[in-house]
Amino acid sequence: MIYADPGDSFAEWREAARGLLARGVRPDEVVWSGGGQAGLFGNAAADDDAAPCGTFRVPAEFLKLARAVACYESVERWGLLYRLLYRIAGGRRHLLEIESDEDMRCARLMEKAVNRDVHKFHAFVRFREIEVEGEKVFAAWHEPQHFTVEKAVPFFVRRFGDMRFSIFTPKLCAHWDLEELKFSPGVERVALADDTTEDFWLTYYRAIFNPFRLKVGAMKKEMPVRHWRTLPEARLINELIEEAGRV
Amino acid sequence: MELKTKLSVLADAAKYDASCASSGSKRERPKGGIGNTEGMGICHSYTPDGRCISLLKLLLTNVCIWDCSYCVNRRSSNVRRARFKPEEVVRLTIDFYKRNYIEGLFLSSGIIQNADYTMEQLVLVAKKLREEENFGGYIHLKAVPGASEVLLKQAGKYADRLSANIEMPVQEDLDKLAPEKTIGEIEDTMGTLRAEIDESRERARADKKSARPAGAGETFAGAGQSTQLVVGASRSSDSVILKKAEELYKKFKLRRVYYSAFSPAEFTSPELSRTPTPPMREHRLYEADWLIRHYGFSASEITAQIADGNLDLTKDPKLAWALAHRQLFPVDVNRASRSLLLRVPGIGVRNVDRIVKIRRFHRIGLADLVRLKVSMNRAKWFVVTADHNPDVFNLDKTDLMTRFRRPAEQLSLFAPGPATVVMGEI
Ligand code: SF4
Repeated sequence: MIYADPGDSFAEWREAARGLLARGVRPDEVVWSGGGQAGLFGNAAADDDAAPCGTFRVPAEFLKLARAVACYESVERWGLLYRLLYRIAGGRRHLLEIESDEDMRCARLMEKAVNRDVHKFHAFVRFREIEVEGEKVFAAWHEPQHFTVEKAVPFFVRRFGDMRFSIFTPKLCAHWDLEELKFSPGVERVALADDTTEDFWLTYYRAIFNPFRLKVGAMKKEMPVRHWRTLPEARLINELIEEAGRV
Repeated sequence: MELKTKLSVLADAAKYDASCASSGSKRERPKGGIGNTEGMGICHSYTPDGRCISLLKLLLTNVCIWDCSYCVNRRSSNVRRARFKPEEVVRLTIDFYKRNYIEGLFLSSGIIQNADYTMEQLVLVAKKLREEENFGGYIHLKAVPGASEVLLKQAGKYADRLSANIEMPVQEDLDKLAPEKTIGEIEDTMGTLRAEIDESRERARADKKSARPAGAGETFAGAGQSTQLVVGASRSSDSVILKKAEELYKKFKLRRVYYSAFSPAEFTSPELSRTPTPPMREHRLYEADWLIRHYGFSASEITAQIADGNLDLTKDPKLAWALAHRQLFPVDVNRASRSLLLRVPGIGVRNVDRIVKIRRFHRIGLADLVRLKVSMNRAKWFVVTADHNPDVFNLDKTDLMTRFRRPAEQLSLFAPGPATVVMGEI
């Protein structure tokens, strides 16, 4: 058995996978771990100096898929990616097009979950305008499900490039100072001062709701309950449902 | 009146416009400004009615000189009235946008003095946003039917999307319910918009060819135009409605037709329907509309097999069509043309494309369809796969219809609102 631990880093997985593939190691001979769980065994794949570092040509589409799957919050992603890589390198060049293949299906599901998490990141971040050392800045607390901070934040730079902002999450924090995007380690919590515009937002949320049609399931499907604690408007939901019951 | 109160009154009045789309337009953030659009719409929140909040949806005012009997804002209604100053709408939009609550603004209005004056006020807000605030986010403006061409042109310069609401499928309905409106005038406005949109596309294409910098010419309503129909206020059937929708798509290249189910609470006109429109009717219309736009169906094909002109509430229109055309099935998923695959109940457009790709490399069996998440409880009766599909032998059984029938109530419970329906595969 060979043990490999790329942590949560796609670059390190790629490095390790290249080495393994060059030595012809079969997927079932590798035990992958991630997020520093390798423990005693260290990183056999990367430690092996004898591994020839060849490069393998794979479809660009595979790299795109692998980059997304790498953000998925589960150790299984590394083994799955290696299995796909091994099969493609072994001659199954069209594997990416066989969406009904079991490995491909898993990878696509993970990719989909990651993309959805990025999308929800873009949708559900709620900035507050606060004052830090006499300066107005925007700050948000968000809880992504997967490792999507680096993937999601450039969107906010494109959109709000003229605003100083920070987005705090348990996984990683991002800071835009009008010139450079910097990342810092994730934090457990952050307390942000109130922002009066939030009252207007809640007023709007209440008024735009149509109490004559209640579709709580449809709402929860698109706005999963686990996001509610970071959405200011969510505190109105139960109250609105109750009121609707009375009309 | 306090701004918060106005916001409450004028958002409440705006919620009957179903459109909240913010997709289909691309704009980079203006230098020194705020906001962009990247083509894909974002739903920033959802309310318990299942609808998405993508745009700050407001009326400039709910005062209206007209008296459309299906509308809460009609002259004779006794709702509380309010009117925003243009700069108030601008402030709310920017404040909300900066906090990432919204993609932009959808601004409509009651008719203030006449069509032109109203249009002018709407344009003024959009102009302030674009020119004074350097706002690059999404703007949807109502195109007031009968407004002058000059004003519509300005509107399209600032807005990503424009919409003139057709309201009813035929003039007789309008005569009874909205006597000031004519289909002719509304369609004239749509025609003006279409001409401007076409011209703007043409310019963009020419720019691209001659390698002139993109956007050298002005874009007119980059996300096109849409419209809305009120369903169930008049007696017009789904056949009439779908025929009209199809005609509008063809004539004016509309991006979308929205259907809004009418509920008769607080409405008094004797011409109005007394019973609330079942939400499922709206849902079925969206499905039929989707089939027309993406599945190669014509309106008459969808409505040919329905007796009273209304869509079957107990099953989706694609399934209803397939059951009425069983002689065309089963379809061999390994051989059939793309257009025939599109007609199989339970297989959506995306899966049709995947199937066409996969079968170049291997023969497709039942397990493939399951893994593709094809809706098997509908599809299984209609397909032949590489392996044995036992259900297909039931295709000709007369009781097949009943195997799909579930209590209507149960169906409506699970029916997502229009915002989610339009994204789904059927
Ligand atoms: S013109 Fe518009 S706002 Fe006025 S009553 Fe008719 S539908 Fe309502």
